Amino acid sequence: SERPVLRAIIKVTLLKHEPTGKPLTLEGVFVGGSAGKAEGKLMQYHPLSLCNTSEDERQESDFITIVKLEHRVHHCLPLPDKARMALDKGAQAVIFDIRNDASAAAELQEVDSLPRPVVLVEDNNAKELMDLVNKNEEAKVVIEIKMEPKWPHYD
Amino acid sequence: RQGTAATMCPSPCHCEEDGIFIMVDCSEMGLSSVPANLSPLTTYLDLSMNNISEIQPRAFHRLHLLSELRISGNQLRYISGLAFQGLHNLKVLMLQNNQLERLPDDAPWDLPNLLSLRLDANLLSVVPAEAFRGVRSLRHLWLDDNSLTEIPVMALDSLPSLQAMTLALNRITHIPDYAFTNLSALVVLHLHNNHIRSMGSRCFEGLNSLETLDLNYNDLQEFPVAIRTLSKLQELGFHNNNIKAIPERAFVGNPQLQTIHFYENPIQFVGKSAFQFLPKLHTLSLNGATQIREFPDLKGTTSLEILTLTRAGLSALPLDLCEQLPRLRVLELSYNQIEDLPSFYHCSALQEIGLQHNQIRRIESSTFQQLASLRALDLSWNMIESIHPDAFASLHSLVKLDLTENRLSSIPVVGLSALTHLKLRGNTELYEAFSPDNFPHMRVIEMPYAYQCCVYGSCDSYKPAGQWDSEQSSTNEDLHKRTVAMYPIHTDTHYDPDLEEFQLEIEESKLQASVQCTPTPGPFRPCDSLLGSWLV
Amino acid sequence: HKPISGVSSGCQQGGCLTCSDYNGCLSCKPRFFMHLERIGMKQIGVCMTSCPPGFYGTRSPERNTCTKCRSECDSCFNKNFCTHCRAGFYLHLGKCQENCPEGMVRSDAQRECIL
Repeated sequence: SERPVLRAIIKVTLLKHEPTGKPLTLEGVFVGGSAGKAEGKLMQYHPLSLCNTSEDERQESDFITIVKLEHRVHHCLPLPDKARMALDKGAQAVIFDIRNDASAAAELQEVDSLPRPVVLVEDNNAKELMDLVNKNEEAKVVIEIKMEPKWPHYD
Repeated sequence: RQGTAATMCPSPCHCEEDGIFIMVDCSEMGLSSVPANLSPLTTYLDLSMNNISEIQPRAFHRLHLLSELRISGNQLRYISGLAFQGLHNLKVLMLQNNQLERLPDDAPWDLPNLLSLRLDANLLSVVPAEAFRGVRSLRHLWLDDNSLTEIPVMALDSLPSLQAMTLALNRITHIPDYAFTNLSALVVLHLHNNHIRSMGSRCFEGLNSLETLDLNYNDLQEFPVAIRTLSKLQELGFHNNNIKAIPERAFVGNPQLQTIHFYENPIQFVGKSAFQFLPKLHTLSLNGATQIREFPDLKGTTSLEILTLTRAGLSALPLDLCEQLPRLRVLELSYNQIEDLPSFYHCSALQEIGLQHNQIRRIESSTFQQLASLRALDLSWNMIESIHPDAFASLHSLVKLDLTENRLSSIPVVGLSALTHLKLRGNTELYEAFSPDNFPHMRVIEMPYAYQCCVYGSCDSYKPAGQWDSEQSSTNEDLHKRTVAMYPIHTDTHYDPDLEEFQLEIEESKLQASVQCTPTPGPFRPCDSLLGSWLV
Repeated sequence: HKPISGVSSGCQQGGCLTCSDYNGCLSCKPRFFMHLERIGMKQIGVCMTSCPPGFYGTRSPERNTCTKCRSECDSCFNKNFCTHCRAGFYLHLGKCQENCPEGMVRSDAQRECIL
């Protein structure tokens, strides 16, 4: 069955620039049938941290998980289950950087019952986010549904 | 390097002061031998991850105050008994990840206060009888990931204080009687990932304090009856073995058991009394034991919270099931031949019930009565023809109900207002289109027929069939057409900035609450029924 | 005790088998333990011969992993058996408790119950 592909707007504000800092605006695609708004501190998780054997690493405040997927890493769980596990750990939303995992998008497209937003990012959108993580630049992220322009192609 | 530590710190190591003592870190420095000028005030010395292949006799003889010595991750093949002379206060010795092939037997290591000894990830195939003669205070011993083919029975006799030991990942094939007789203080014993095929019926004699026994990933052919002497046992694992039966009164000697893991065994038979009188057991899972015909007698096993008994031959459930198991939270009985259900009335803590793939025909009013905590109920792939109107009345927490592939012509909606997932596919006699008002929180619903999904999408606003692409592409350009199509509010509005803001709010809330209804109506499954009757 | 041993930082660690800039180690050489270390918002894979304090190692044929001990343990042999307690707790037969069994007293120096 066909499901609308909804795009996500990801606004990233460095904590050190709050509240006046101008947010960096990136884009992604919602999957998992849970398009919606989410907000929290960006927190990276290693792909292996979302496995059955992973222990419970609780964060204090609201956070949004970002995982850079790697095709070389042993897939301990299907991606939908990894997403659920991240949400069960308290994430307000999950962002998957799928630049290095071509099959990820297909695996997540058919899922329908994720309780909170899950977003796929690629290309420069992914690079910008992961470069922040790599520099350990603490940032707040707001995810929203991208409202497409009303009549883009019609007469 | 700081203060006095700087003067006493051997190059190129890093040192930190610990009061008058110093902690020396020489890890990963490419060293090929133990630094010579180590201070007698050294309490912690880390030589791990270097290229040390030999330790000279008396290399640490001045370090009487050394408490922890790490030499893991080097190339040591043998360490003589004289190497550790003088380490009277050593408590922790880490030798893992070397190439040790044998331990000294002529003059064993004299470490009277050693508590923890790591020998894991080496090449030991034998442990000499005298090897541990000089470490009598030892509490924690790692011998896993070596090449042992036997339990080092004689060597273990020297360790009366041992509390935790792992012999996992070796090539042990048999556990002889009285293998651990002197280990009366042992609490944890790991033997997983060996080739254990048999064990003496008295092999665990003497392990009076044992709480954890891990026999997973071996080749056991029979149930380990030797556990009968382990009266303190709390955690037992023998999953991934080759055991075909669990005998009657199997755990009669183990009243303290809290967890038993034995999945991935070809278990065909389970004694009816096997799991009786285990008052602390909270999880019991049995899958594929096809010879089980009767539900096990769980008298005295009153703390059970999770019971999984799938792919067996059950045809009925005891009427007093819930009296025996008042704390049950998860009941998974799929793939049996159950026909009639008792009342689960007394199982008030139940959160999940799995009864899919059975032969259930009807659901009475009392079957699921008062299960206020029930969240998921799977009754798919049965033969259910009728459900009493009040059957779900008290299921206020139910969010997932699966009735796929039954013989229903109607279902009661009373009590189902919390549902987010409802599956009714395959009930070919069920024609009713349920109003969304019955299910205010619905997110995923599967119906027998597409027209029954029309109440969930604005079927009327769909453009004439010609506009509905027969092959719905998934490119983003189509997103807008379908988004607009699903939310008619946009259809004929002139541009108005304030109104636009207002509509975005509505649109956003609708998007969040969008219901995924299948099968989705389409050009060949239009919402308008043909000639007044969908069937024609 | 020294916080972390048997490890070097970044991708060029001795125990790393495959590695990525963002995730650190993705897999370890045989017999090394994979530890997922959190540094602020980052979490990277690190390969080591012994898990850091507060974690214990579990070996298996496929992979070796570090898992967190119970909160009251500074170090442990497995999930249910502590080898050294946190301040305020006292060790007896692998359990870290605030009080000692009858007939034993608390030793603050070793954080143990002693006779």
